[in-house]
Order: sequence, then C-alpha cells, then structure tokens
Amino acid sequence: MKIKKTTLYFALIIILIVGVGFFMLKGNGLETNTAVSDNGNGDFQKIILSVKNLNYYPNTITVKEGIPVRIYLDSSVTGCLRSFTIRDFGIAKYLKTPNDYVEFTPNKKGSFRFACSMGMGTGTLVVE
Amino acid sequence: MTFRKFAKYVNEEENLVKTVFISLLTSFALLAFFYMFKLRYVENFIPKYGFFLFFAILSYSLILPSVKHVKIYREFACMSGMMIGMTIGMISGFLAGFYIGSTNGMFIGSVFGMSLGIFLGIWNGKCCGIMGTLEGIMAGFMGGLMGSMTALMMFNDNLKYMAVLVFLVSGITLFGLNYMIYKETREAEKRKNDETFFIIFWSILLTTVTTWLMVFGPRSVLFQ
Repeated sequence: MKIKKTTLYFALIIILIVGVGFFMLKGNGLETNTAVSDNGNGDFQKIILSVKNLNYYPNTITVKEGIPVRIYLDSSVTGCLRSFTIRDFGIAKYLKTPNDYVEFTPNKKGSFRFACSMGMGTGTLVVE
Repeated sequence: MTFRKFAKYVNEEENLVKTVFISLLTSFALLAFFYMFKLRYVENFIPKYGFFLFFAILSYSLILPSVKHVKIYREFACMSGMMIGMTIGMISGFLAGFYIGSTNGMFIGSVFGMSLGIFLGIWNGKCCGIMGTLEGIMAGFMGGLMGSMTALMMFNDNLKYMAVLVFLVSGITLFGLNYMIYKETREAEKRKNDETFFIIFWSILLTTVTTWLMVFGPRSVLFQ
C-alpha cells in the first residue's frame, strides 16, 4: 500500500507533537497553601500575607467567626497586589506600607474569595 | 470544490505541511541539543518553562509557513497586503509576547513580542507597499503589548488553558490567512518555492532566542 506523502507528514507532525509534548507538558499546578490566624491577645486575629509565584502567600486563610481580623501585607507584596479586596465583607483598601492593614469582623461562616483590585492575585478566606 | 482544491494546493503545490514538519523537527532537535548540554542543569526547567516553550515552538511552526507562503508571491493588492501585514504582525507579536510574558513578565514579553511582531509585520506587509508596512508596524506593536499583558493578568486565572486557547485561535486565523493568499493568487506568478533553508534558519533563530530569554533573560521583579 502506498502512503501519500502528505499523510506521512501529518503522521510525523502528530508523533513529534505528542512525543515532545509528553515530555514538556509535565507542569506544576497552582500552589495552594494555608495559614491559620494568629489569635494574639484575643482582641483580633492577625494575618500577614506575602507574595510567592506572583500570588498571595499563603493563599488560603482560616479565621474564627465573630473575632475581628487584621490582614497585613508584608514588603514583598508590590504593585496592584497591595490593593486588597474581599468583596463579601465590603473590603477594598490600598495598603501602602507593611504597617497598614484591613480590619473586619467575619460575621458569617463559609469560604470567601480575597483578591487584589485587578483580580491578578487571589486566595480563599475560610471562616469557621 | 474550492476547499478540496485548497487542501491539494497546501499539501502538494506549496508543501506547507512539510514546512510545518521541518520547522517542528528543527526546533525540537535544537531544544533536545540544548537540553542535553545545558538546560537539564537548570532547576525546574520542564515544570517552569516546558509548557510555554512547547507552545512557543508550535506557534513558530505555524507562523513560518505563512511567512513562506507570502514570500512565494511577494506582491499583493493593497487590501490583501494590509491583511497579510496585520495578521502576521498581530499573531506573531501576540504569541511571542504571551509566551515570554508568561515566564518573564510584561516588560521583556512586550519588548520581544513587539520586536518580532513589528519585524514580521513590516517584512510581510511590504508586499503591497507602505500601507501594508504601516499596518504591520501597528499590528506588531499592538500584538506584542497585548500578548504579554494578557499573560501577566491571567497568571492566577487558568493561564495554561488560555495559552492553549490563544494558540488554537491563532492557528485558525493563520489557516484563514493562507486560504486568503490561495484565493488571491491563483493566477499570480510564483517567485520562489523551495524555502527549506529559510524555515530551518528562522526556526533555529526563534527557538534559540525564545529559550535563552525564558531561561536566562531578564525578568520582572515579581518573577524573580
């Protein structure tokens, strides 16, 4: 049986793509990491976020319901990631320095997204 | 049927499928060579750069046959020439900017995407004179910036899925461009046909520059 030249090229292209793709597409997914709030003196729960792989680190925060939460961004957080928002709690604030923070009291249980104002850095706030 | 004739033209007359194969083979062979001697010592080379480098090489293997296709005829009517300059400038700028932007950040992605997009836009757009050339410059400029900006903004939002989507849409667009060239040039005289050296040269150049930029090139603060 005579194989057409074009068919042969198509087959070779597919073999090349599949073969090389199998080797090169072994990626690492988005990293997930968790922080539990530091209860401090009991007046508020303190969380300090930094940046790793162009996202907030840690990007999952667990806090307790009913106790005020303060979230700080350390000096590794730059650009639009300093503009911190949690839509479900009406938080939207530009934290200019590492000493600035957002404070709110989580009054409902569940998982809520936090993000920078442009949505480039995201994470989950778990209220227990 | 026109499409069947087009398929025959692509495969037998212009050997575009063969061109895609040569480009892929050259790029992957070069990458294997680099990997053997240098890149395997780079920490996390495959997880960090493999995906985007793979799609960058696939993109070049689609762009180069289109460039070759334009070079075969060289001269086009103004409307076709402008479309050629715009499509090749935009797609090459966008893809290069997107993949470099995904690993190095917006500045270097934009610079590389704009450079490649504008260069290919001018080179292909000049087939119809100054209008196509200008269209190529504008499209390359816009594509390079948009590609790297899109990559950066989607970093935490399914960037890899978007990379595949961008590649597929670009592939369909380039397929459409080749069909347009076929429709516009059925009666035209061909200038050159055998461009194997051209494909090999550009595949080597683009793969080398892309790999070097991704692995050793400058990167934005957030990517360090």
